[in-house]
Amino acid sequence: MAEQEGEDEYDECGDECGERGDVTAPSCIAITGLDSHFGMRLAERLLERPRAPRLIGIDLHRPLRLAGRLNFHRVDLTDPTADGELAQVLADEGVEALIHLAYRHSPTPDLEYDHELETIGSLHVMNACAAAKLRRLVVASSTMLYGPRSDNPNFLTESHRLRGHAEAHCVMNRVEVEDLLVDWVPRHRDTEVTVLRSCWVMGPTYRDHVVRFFERPVIPTVLGYDPLMQFIHESDLLSVYEDAICEAHPGIFNIVGRGVLPLSTLIALAGKRRATLPAPLLYRVSSYPAQGQTGDPPAGFFDYLRYLWVADGERGWAEFGAPDYSTREAWISFVSSRRLQRYQ
Amino acid sequence: MSDGQGGREDNVVKLPVHDPAHDEDVLDDERLEALRLALEDLRREVRARLPDPKAPRREDEGIDLFALFDELRERVSTLGMSERSIETDEFGLDRQAMSRAAPLLDFLLERYWRVDVVGTKNLPTRSPCLFVANRSGLLPYDGAMLSHVVQRLLPEAGRPRFMVADWLITLPFVQPFLARYGGVRACRENADRLLRTGRSVVAFPEGVKGAAKSFAERYRLKRFGRGGVVRAAIENGVPLVPVGIVGAEEAHPVLFKSYLPARLLGLPFIPVTPTFPLLGPLGFLPLPTKWVVVFGEPVELPLPEDADDEELEISQCTAELRERIQALVEVGLDRRSSIWG
Repeated sequence: MAEQEGEDEYDECGDECGERGDVTAPSCIAITGLDSHFGMRLAERLLERPRAPRLIGIDLHRPLRLAGRLNFHRVDLTDPTADGELAQVLADEGVEALIHLAYRHSPTPDLEYDHELETIGSLHVMNACAAAKLRRLVVASSTMLYGPRSDNPNFLTESHRLRGHAEAHCVMNRVEVEDLLVDWVPRHRDTEVTVLRSCWVMGPTYRDHVVRFFERPVIPTVLGYDPLMQFIHESDLLSVYEDAICEAHPGIFNIVGRGVLPLSTLIALAGKRRATLPAPLLYRVSSYPAQGQTGDPPAGFFDYLRYLWVADGERGWAEFGAPDYSTREAWISFVSSRRLQRYQ
Repeated sequence: MSDGQGGREDNVVKLPVHDPAHDEDVLDDERLEALRLALEDLRREVRARLPDPKAPRREDEGIDLFALFDELRERVSTLGMSERSIETDEFGLDRQAMSRAAPLLDFLLERYWRVDVVGTKNLPTRSPCLFVANRSGLLPYDGAMLSHVVQRLLPEAGRPRFMVADWLITLPFVQPFLARYGGVRACRENADRLLRTGRSVVAFPEGVKGAAKSFAERYRLKRFGRGGVVRAAIENGVPLVPVGIVGAEEAHPVLFKSYLPARLLGLPFIPVTPTFPLLGPLGFLPLPTKWVVVFGEPVELPLPEDADDEELEISQCTAELRERIQALVEVGLDRRSSIWG
């Protein structure tokens, strides 16, 4: 039973400016996880489009900065009946495309809730999309799902196995989501499914546990390891989300910035210091704080700073165009914005 | 505002007025003299503003702990960064580090191992190509030397990357180090990507079996992987260049292998050489043997027409390639009278 509290009467774009001529642009788009960084910004971007689609926001909380500009529905995706509720909403509103962003930005110690939200929530969204016969489904995923392994090739393509990391529960949840999708996609041929695997996001405003980690003045790293890292700038990722929902791009794509840089070079570029510790010591020392913050043993995060997990973005660049920011520029944009914030 | 500007008026050094008509001709004596005087004025002024270095240091200051701390911090944060550039290529090769290492590689090439190169006419002028060589020794000297040789012979083609087996390139410290100097983890994905983006590759299909050869079985090539090299060459349409490397196998003559302590360290085995572990870290120094690098004729492999026979054909090609390299090794061995010359 969806609380139909979000019946906003003000609808910026009426039916008359819906799609006409442009076959693929959906006239009504739903965003799950609206009250997240990318949910809100994507909604704003879509509303700014010349022929703005009608937007349906789905989340637990109504973001205030979007009040009155879209129809908001409160659906708790962890609810056992969420799929039915969501299907009802999608059918009632005539939604054509849905972008699923209802994920944790950062893992929390509440492992059970994280699993309910990420895996079961995604399952509910998939079920609802199937019931409502949506034209397009965009699922945000991550290149973290490939897993940091010493035996990874230097560039992981989309066809590479998703091995995840056994000690990072959010990663494993999302691996499960992709596994579910592998079954789901062939059974629903009418729905175009786009999976966007993005690498770590950097930028002036985005914050998650990775960004918070790199905001520290002293960055702990693993002795003897210096992996190549890659980042995507938040605005580039947002453009990709926008393109993926407005145009037809079925398939799986790695969304990464151009270029790679060793971790030590990144830290030196930021003018920060490295605390280099041997892995056993580092994992022991950071074990309690890490479990308090993310609920995972530290290996679940530090292995991403230890082994290679760089993804091959060529398919994504060919499909969505090259990103404006390279890895280096995204990193510098993050660093310089934090420097400015210190003087505000 | 005007006050602040006015106060500095007397300090401004008058430079000769720039005359566009004079632009073409060289500085004549008169203008040179004027410039010299202006420079002299500037020097004097800078000197006047700087604190006098000869002035006695005030003793009551003591050691400036903050300055010391700042300096230490600066040193620590840039530790190991001075010889590196802030941009690497997509496989982690660092040009600045590479150019710093070039004199050492040249020394090893010309003086230490006195590398003779045979069959340079066989080097394909078109890049990329896949160099296939015999592997020897635990440390990848042969790969580094071969790519350096190729770079010196074909400077415009770019440095070939050498493939390093998993067990070595996944070790801590080794991985970042080798990546900086052009080592790449040996796997099909990496080879394909390098060849596709126009970079030559040095591959050692013997893999760890080759590295683990003892002194007694030197220069007898082991089985060649599972045909990945041939497949990579066919699929990327690049020529295979067989290379025989002679000398590397004696640089670290493995008398026998020790397995039990190696298992504790996660290595395949610990080699016992005349100098290692007897002399400790000195044992890592390779012996100054005489090296010969023999390039064979490049092999262009066409795409097999029949998919059914593909496996068989590739395995035949691989066996053929192995024999060719074995023959090249024999050529190299014949050129030396002893391992030293």
